[in-house]
Amino acid sequence: MVHALREIWRALTPGGLLLDLRPLSANMPVEVLGVERAAVAGYLDTAPEAYADDRAADAAMATVERDGLFARERDGAFDFLWYWDTPEEMQAFIAEKWTDTHLSEEVLVQTRRLMADTGDNTRVRTSANVIISRWRRLGR
Amino acid sequence: MSLQRDPEETEIKHLRDFADFSGARVLEIGCGEGRLTWRYASAAGWVVGIDPDPARIGVALSDCPPTLRSSATFALAKAESLPFPRETFDRAVLAWSL
Repeated sequence: MVHALREIWRALTPGGLLLDLRPLSANMPVEVLGVERAAVAGYLDTAPEAYADDRAADAAMATVERDGLFARERDGAFDFLWYWDTPEEMQAFIAEKWTDTHLSEEVLVQTRRLMADTGDNTRVRTSANVIISRWRRLGR
Repeated sequence: MSLQRDPEETEIKHLRDFADFSGARVLEIGCGEGRLTWRYASAAGWVVGIDPDPARIGVALSDCPPTLRSSATFALAKAESLPFPRETFDRAVLAWSL
């Protein structure tokens, strides 16, 4: 990661900006949305390796900051949401696209139960907490 | 598939709040299929999206809107070995890729 950041520093103009956007590996809720309310059915399982990846990314940014390549200017965070019409569509998407995250059978069953109880016009969603930081390229 | 990703457009609102892309030369690392690229590229001067996955780059190339074809391009590359000269870009975006 540090090598990649050094390459980015090389490709940026002096004073240029690096924007780091990435989701944190935390418990991602599975929520059933009705017309008037949302109910949490459970949480997605996250592999332990994902937490290690978060720490490694933070450490890499700290290294290039310490080395005088970038200066941190601003931090923020927001929720990024995914929506599906059915829990089966959510399950298929997660299985195909997300390597570090798993939807357990228990949460899937609870999601179906909540959707059946909530009635028509329900959807299911999950969300990730995404951090964003702005870094100024230093030096010549 | 009924999937909707970030229909509230929270991500691009934050990105625009954090940096001005007007006329900027932008390198997006981990552009994937261009999901985020399409949301800011029209304001930028020139955008290069890179990703190590050839299938994703193929989708980004084929899905590139006609209005962006002259200002956005995509390449198969890794951040550890960027195929660009020094000081080519004004902005770099790590798109869920660090």
